[in-house]
Amino acid sequence: MRKRKTNKFGGVWVFGDYRNYFQNRVTLQLIAKATDLARDLKTEAAVVVLGQDIHQYVMEYVAHGADIIIAAQHPQLKDYEVETYTAVLDRWVKAFEPEIFLAGATSFGREFFPRLAKRLHTGLSADCLALEVDPDTGLLVQTTPAFGGELLAEVVTPHHRPQMATVHPGVFQERAHNSEALGRIIYPEIGPLPVPRMKTIRSRRQQSHKLNLENARVVIAGGRGLGTKDEFQMLYEIAELLEGEVGATRPAVAEGWAEEDRLLGQTGKSVKPTLLISVGTSGALQYTTGIQGAETIIAINRDPHAPIFRMADLGLVGDVHTLLPLLLDVLRRRL
Amino acid sequence: MEYEESRISAHHNYLVNRVLTPGFVVGKPNEDKGFFLLADLVLPGESTPRICARLLDAQGVLLLELEWNRIRENPGMCTHRPVPGGFVIVLPSEEALMEVRTESFANGYITRIKARLFDETGQVRSETLGESLQVRGEAKLVLDSPFVFSRK
Repeated sequence: MRKRKTNKFGGVWVFGDYRNYFQNRVTLQLIAKATDLARDLKTEAAVVVLGQDIHQYVMEYVAHGADIIIAAQHPQLKDYEVETYTAVLDRWVKAFEPEIFLAGATSFGREFFPRLAKRLHTGLSADCLALEVDPDTGLLVQTTPAFGGELLAEVVTPHHRPQMATVHPGVFQERAHNSEALGRIIYPEIGPLPVPRMKTIRSRRQQSHKLNLENARVVIAGGRGLGTKDEFQMLYEIAELLEGEVGATRPAVAEGWAEEDRLLGQTGKSVKPTLLISVGTSGALQYTTGIQGAETIIAINRDPHAPIFRMADLGLVGDVHTLLPLLLDVLRRRL
Repeated sequence: MEYEESRISAHHNYLVNRVLTPGFVVGKPNEDKGFFLLADLVLPGESTPRICARLLDAQGVLLLELEWNRIRENPGMCTHRPVPGGFVIVLPSEEALMEVRTESFANGYITRIKARLFDETGQVRSETLGESLQVRGEAKLVLDSPFVFSRK
């Protein structure tokens, strides 16, 4: 254990979001990517972990490839509070000067990372789908949806540091747990913490219905083309017969046919099932970015020109209100 | 900005001076006499801490020697009692001399040691500070590899 003083530290940083650790795993996925980026840049991958009881998480992050843990334990950091976390990270980034700083596009990441970027006078690419180091410039190329998801833009931050990005859960693959891994852990000064203007009165976990979309072998996803909530309900029965999960496009969620946590795509989840059945979805980029990891895609849509057919392995052109009951009937008889 | 730095194992760590470390040593374990406390590396596949110690009372008189968690010499008539997650060394007065407990997670372990320990001059060398052991004086607070005794 040594006392040290910071000088320029560099590195690729990941924000350690462990609140929904076992559900979204996004921090572990980002660590895997950060270690690749750090290798390309000949630097180290660090995970920043704030909280009160963080030991098991920092050890897990080392097991998944982090070279360095930058940690702070304090009762005031127990709850994820935007002002407090932003203040600490603003101070640390200015002291250590990382090259790159990544966070999961979770609800908290989406809230505090823009604040942090503003304070640091740097750019932020939200909901990135790919991150690579340009071998010529050494800059981080951040691939992110643009113009409402119609385009994928490649963004670089040439003049300001750190290069900041948020990334969807499921975009990158986490590495296997390695119990033999060793890393460094540093505990910088936290400094004075702001008096929060908000006070968390109570925090409780939302009732879980064991949704396991990201790891489902079969996903049946529905869109606006289903027309009504009753039609959408058929997807649940089909999913149950196929031992899969139900996903939804943004319009289907907006109509109230499915819960927010079933949303697939840029602002929702990315899935990698063996089989994905896409029903009544046009195939907008905002949605298809979340299903591009599926091994086999079957699309059902009455419009033969729907973009979804371009990425489908098998396309059924027809009215979902006719085809879905037939599919359900066949499955009921065979399974 | 100042910061503390340590090594950290993905498998098992001790909590010392509020910092995680794979292993540490206080005092001089390679000398035949005098206080020492060694918390050695726990390698993957093992889940119990590896503690060796020569523990003295406040007057510098030997109480016991601990060799890999087991009592070897015991002039102080201490007892070794298993507790959930570890063990406690208890003085004849029933006062706990040292408590060692290991918390297990899904994929790792952390061991916390609680003890007020003295060296041969009666100086306090460790105290319990919350969940952590606070050590004083000569110490190596990070071991990178398993400790090798060089005394005969």
